[in-house]
Amino acid sequence: MPTQEERALDEKLVRELKAGKEEAFDEIVKIYQRKIYALAFNLTRNPMDAQDVTQDVLLSIFKKIDTFQGKSAFSSWVYRITLNAAYMKLRTRKKDQSVSLEEMLPSFNNSGFQQEKLLDWSEATDSLLFSKETRKLIEQAVDQLPEKEKVVFLLRDVEELSTERVAEILDLSIPAVKSRLHRARLFLRKKLSQHFEEYAARGEKK
Amino acid sequence: MICCRECLDLLYDYLEGTLDEKVRHSLEEHFQDCPPCISFLNTYKTTSRLCRESLTQTEIPEIVQIKLRDFVQNKIKKH
Repeated sequence: MPTQEERALDEKLVRELKAGKEEAFDEIVKIYQRKIYALAFNLTRNPMDAQDVTQDVLLSIFKKIDTFQGKSAFSSWVYRITLNAAYMKLRTRKKDQSVSLEEMLPSFNNSGFQQEKLLDWSEATDSLLFSKETRKLIEQAVDQLPEKEKVVFLLRDVEELSTERVAEILDLSIPAVKSRLHRARLFLRKKLSQHFEEYAARGEKK
Repeated sequence: MICCRECLDLLYDYLEGTLDEKVRHSLEEHFQDCPPCISFLNTYKTTSRLCRESLTQTEIPEIVQIKLRDFVQNKIKKH
């Protein structure tokens, strides 16, 4: 979420860039390059694609800054260009790997109570939670999310933008953002639960 | 008294702090009597945190940083 200072700095840099001051562009690159790359990488999971997307976006910012009218935050504009460039890449590349989220949603009995046994792994040791294996699993699970849920999840939970801003960037209603995010979280929670349950079962066998 | 299904539907708004007082109270009552929902709440919360901390570790590889710098200098600015 951009603070007021961040927003004011963005506005100043945009004004300067529009006036032809190239140093302003260097500042913008410094602020946004990593964010653009990270989002592109999390969407494409491919370093070459992420690099191409980053280049496209930087070029667009430079060339199309005059079309930015300041109706939304500058960062929203940058995220939107990044998403468009990343989707272009995805369309030319891999097949959609997404899965149906339905079967991963919680199940209930007739009286509305949870049916599955629930392991609380939230207090597991940090070394387990942040192991390489877990990280890989998270990447794979995020890759399996349908595009609609994935992008909401990346902007809201990973980039930590507010619900309102995500709605602005994606041109969605607030309830739509919420429901997509909730579904994404349920899916990822389930994937992580399966992973940690397997781990716990392995531990018991030893 | 709310059931687990309702409880999980309310989870999102509960964590956002946007539930009205009465609903929040009955949800918390449900939590007291339902360890599975507590586990669910905890792991739901941790999921977001864990994913964020894993996925924001993405750094631009050094070679790509150099290429990007070159791109900005030679392709963008000298255009």
